[in-house]
Amino acid sequence: MSELPRRIAGLVLLLVALVLPLVLSDFWLQTGLFVMAMAIGAVGLTLLVGVAGQLSLGHAAFAAIGAYVYAWSTGEATTTVDGAGLPPMAGLVLAVVVSALVGAAFSPVAGRLRGIYLGLATLGLVFVVRHLLVNLDDWTGGFTGRSVEPFAVPGLSFSNRDPDYLAVAGVELEGLHRLWYLFLVLVLVACWLAGNLRTGRTGRAWANIRDSETAAAAMGIGVARAKASVFVVSSAYAGLAGAMLALAYGRIAPDVFSLTTSIDFLVMIVLGGLGSVAGAVVGALFVTALPLVLAQYSSALPFLASPGSGGLDPSTASRIAYGLAIIAVLLFLRGGLAGAAGRLRRRAGRGPSPSPAGPPPPGAAPAEPAPATPGSPHDVGHPAAVTPARSKETTR
Amino acid sequence: MSPPLLSVEHLDVVYDGSITALSDVSLTVGEGQVVAVLGSNGAGKTSLLRAISRALGPYGGAVTGGAVRFAGADIAGLDTAAVVRRGLVQVPEGRRVFRDLSVADNLRAGGYTVRDARARAEARDRVLDLFPILAERRAQPGGLLSGGQQQMLAIGRALMASPRLLLLDEPSLGLAPLLVDQIGEIITQINRQGTAVLLIEQNAVMGLRVADAASVLEVGRVTAAGPADELSASDEVRERYLGVSVPEVAADPLVVAAPEISTAEPPKRLRVEGLTVRFGGITALSDVSFTVEPGTVHALIGPNGAGKSTLVNVLGGAYRATEGAVRYGDEELTALPSHRVAGLGVARTFQNISLALEDTVEDNLLVGRHRLMRAGLVSGAFRSPRVRREERAHRETVAGIAELLGIGHLLRTPVHTLAYGDRKRVELGRALAARPSLLLLDEPVAGMTHGESQDMADTIRQVRRDLGLSIVLVEHDMPFVMGLAEQVTVLDFGKKIAEGTPAEVQRDPDVLRAYLGAAAA
Amino acid sequence: MSYFLEQVLNGLSYGLVLSLVAAGFAIVFTSTGVLNFAHGSVVLLGAYLVAVLHPTIGFWPALLVAMAGAALVGVAINTLLVRHLADPNPGTAAILMLGVDIVLLTELTRRIGNQVLTLGAPWGASVVSVGEVSLPTGRVVAAAVTVVAFAVLWYLFSRTDLGVGMRAAAADGPTASLMGIRLTRTAATGWALAGVLAAVAGIFLTSFPAPGVAPTVALSALAAIPAWVLGGFDSVPGAIVGGLLIGLTSALVTGYESDLHGVLGTGFGEVAPYVVMIIVLLVRPSGLLGSKEAVRV
Repeated sequence: MSELPRRIAGLVLLLVALVLPLVLSDFWLQTGLFVMAMAIGAVGLTLLVGVAGQLSLGHAAFAAIGAYVYAWSTGEATTTVDGAGLPPMAGLVLAVVVSALVGAAFSPVAGRLRGIYLGLATLGLVFVVRHLLVNLDDWTGGFTGRSVEPFAVPGLSFSNRDPDYLAVAGVELEGLHRLWYLFLVLVLVACWLAGNLRTGRTGRAWANIRDSETAAAAMGIGVARAKASVFVVSSAYAGLAGAMLALAYGRIAPDVFSLTTSIDFLVMIVLGGLGSVAGAVVGALFVTALPLVLAQYSSALPFLASPGSGGLDPSTASRIAYGLAIIAVLLFLRGGLAGAAGRLRRRAGRGPSPSPAGPPPPGAAPAEPAPATPGSPHDVGHPAAVTPARSKETTR
Repeated sequence: MSPPLLSVEHLDVVYDGSITALSDVSLTVGEGQVVAVLGSNGAGKTSLLRAISRALGPYGGAVTGGAVRFAGADIAGLDTAAVVRRGLVQVPEGRRVFRDLSVADNLRAGGYTVRDARARAEARDRVLDLFPILAERRAQPGGLLSGGQQQMLAIGRALMASPRLLLLDEPSLGLAPLLVDQIGEIITQINRQGTAVLLIEQNAVMGLRVADAASVLEVGRVTAAGPADELSASDEVRERYLGVSVPEVAADPLVVAAPEISTAEPPKRLRVEGLTVRFGGITALSDVSFTVEPGTVHALIGPNGAGKSTLVNVLGGAYRATEGAVRYGDEELTALPSHRVAGLGVARTFQNISLALEDTVEDNLLVGRHRLMRAGLVSGAFRSPRVRREERAHRETVAGIAELLGIGHLLRTPVHTLAYGDRKRVELGRALAARPSLLLLDEPVAGMTHGESQDMADTIRQVRRDLGLSIVLVEHDMPFVMGLAEQVTVLDFGKKIAEGTPAEVQRDPDVLRAYLGAAAA
Repeated sequence: MSYFLEQVLNGLSYGLVLSLVAAGFAIVFTSTGVLNFAHGSVVLLGAYLVAVLHPTIGFWPALLVAMAGAALVGVAINTLLVRHLADPNPGTAAILMLGVDIVLLTELTRRIGNQVLTLGAPWGASVVSVGEVSLPTGRVVAAAVTVVAFAVLWYLFSRTDLGVGMRAAAADGPTASLMGIRLTRTAATGWALAGVLAAVAGIFLTSFPAPGVAPTVALSALAAIPAWVLGGFDSVPGAIVGGLLIGLTSALVTGYESDLHGVLGTGFGEVAPYVVMIIVLLVRPSGLLGSKEAVRV
């Protein structure tokens, strides 16, 4: 019974997404492209951090790798930068594959480090990658970056450069419109794959290495292999997101993939609910669109000032809004938006929902067959900083 | 008659909202008295002390009924620091000295609540007088002292606050007999200096020797109480500890019948050979050997700190063996990485529930099927027809297991909403889902009420009958163990000290000595 | 040679300032188990308060106010936020701190705007010269102040009741509370101390040769994390060692950048600390002076 309304809602959303490009202006189209790119990145991160419990601040680094691999492999060699001049499809595939490989190479680090230590190592990774991007300027165009070839498949171009006229309902489909539909397909496929992984055998294995590595091993889950697979998947998603961002901007530079971007991804998945694919998409929508929406309507919103005036300008207001939102979610809203939605559904009498509505966040997994984090509603707001062993007679 | 110094009245303590630790416990400690609380592990003794010191919070526990009065006043609203200020100080279980702080700093920490410099100096002199060795070693880090010296430091630290009542949690734990006697004398001395003592002990002989009165705790309830000399003289204590006179669990001799649902492979012989495990300078297990015949229930018992948990962890592949080996059939279990041990047909439950609390029962049970399923990264992502068929088939199997365990109706419920007893069953179900031929149960009835543990015993018997597996069982609940096991191995201080049928083990003088103290046999 | 000496002195004095920040990370981590990503913005807050208040009340009073303000903010974060986490564990606490950092940093950036605020420090832009080697006076003062600050910390931790209580609480919280040590109080003290250290570090990070109080200070405070990791997660003396080593490395790499350019590229001086941190995490996670237990997650 709970399935039908959800399916209908999903179908409606899909229809809206299909129709929107016909009515939106260029500004909104591009905003939508950014949202979709970031959504894919967020979905990858929620698998890594939310399901598998591997705290990573390095997601922007993997996105950067994807973006630059796409730019280099599809770009033409010029006097300032190299390029391989490959067709765009190949560039996209290469972006995903290379990011995945780097993720695989990085995963043994996750084998040695857990929780915040892994978070710190990935933090370092962001700086190292940025340094490489700035200095390997033959490939990357250095500090100022490089421009990106527009997408194209044989017979159909996705840019405004070589216009071949295509129209639906009297609206001409230009480059941005076509990219929209391409990105929509990518988002749908990515979400579908991620959802399948999360609810199947692989996702269960990932959730168990988050909750207790010892228990996972006791059930035959190869922990090192599971960590490698989740890094591969999340880096692949990040790489794709990076390539999509490159296409959406038309240009990339190292500053697009800074620590702030990594933190933005984390914000998205915490708000949406760790481990929830739908939550990641909603989180991405909120975080990416909010500053742009506020900027667009700043004249209508009296409390907003203009940028640089020292008042509360749109981007400042949005950032403060996210910061407060994270604090609020972590303090009050267990499991983010997805968790809240799950609880609402259950309270509405539709029976217990089987979806993981807010699994224990990273860093919770003790190495030993030790206490699971308090799951019962009685424990919300429990003030202990770190809960020690749970059994009454503890000596061993 | 002056009111008692400490009065515990009908106390109920519950952890995590569902695990009952204490039920209707009452006792008193008079001014200047020494009272002992005896009981085997899992009885709730530490919970009692935590409740008195108002230190249940960090462990997720709460007092749900009854009251504790100190010097006539109800201490319900106080926090731990306030209780200490009133003169009620605890020496926690396992000594817990601050390892990196010097002896002098440890003592200073103990005197934290004493503002008056003179009172503090007096207290320190008294402590150093009682324990001259601490004066000698005052600049050394606490972690470098020997076990007995650390116990003295822990007691000395508590005495710095000049308490009216001293709570001691298993001071003799892990100490050699000579030191145990010394501790007993120290307690008597402290008492003579005017401090009342509430003493938790597993070592009944030492406990009864120094105490004026005693109570016996069993699975959270007081089952015997009275003057110490009366209890000493009776056989009751011995029976309580070793589950001797428990008629209702009269063993139907466990017939090794042909199982109805066979396991993947028939169980093999498990051989533990000369197993030694050392880590961090401690020898947890020393040259332990025993054999578990296929299809039998084999129990591992022993006092606190005996090495039982270490042994289960080695069998499950979580710990490495330093010397010796464990063989299951022809395979050497100890040579395999932990996730391959499951492939031999070994499954285990954990002492503390290790389920994914936010997920449903069904999802948790399905995790147990991991090694039996084939869906990989790519096929899982695309949900091929083969993957879908596989999921369906395994969901059916798992539903069958849930039925067997009586939790079939809870399949779609999130685990965190379940009662403790049901969670334990889900944990058992997850282990069974892996289709094991050897099942390791680590304290399967810890924290359960008597009724719940009887139900669990029946379930385990049925599981064994239907699936024909070998079971290795670690538990403290003696009636439960003795009623279920065919063979028992007893550990103490990491060594095997006895082996045999439950009846043989209950009569063994070495076992009695280990559990109850010297001269109990 | 004098160039080398200058770089070394630069690095060491900068490293000492870093160790103030690193010590703040260590104290917060040992007392409450939190990875305080908001520390950088508290450093900025300290500098900002001094910059804004010194025209009216003078430099030194402004510094005192800044120290008190930073301490208060730290205590508030702990008492109001960290203690009320729905899911208390190190990972969520770290993410919470990211959220706090976003709010604090954004607000401070807004207030600073395009101005470059000056501190009004008495040493201004003056320079101390000994022979051919010169060092900004501010750095010399920083070194002296840091030494004094660590001496005070040492006295606090080893000789006072409060210090013993904090060490006991960090070593074994539940047992410490059985001695009557209130964990809430030791935690608050830890956060307050970290705030004070942050404010002091803030003024030195924004003194000459830095251009003044700008939001980038928060980012350079982040460079103290490698110093903290290198020294050992739960070690305040380790913070000193880590700070010195990282400061030295950074200064030398930047100072000789033109020579190293071919291999390491430009700007490696800023990345070097993080490379060191990654190596430390992989090879010896407990750092140089940290205890092994600190790493048991």
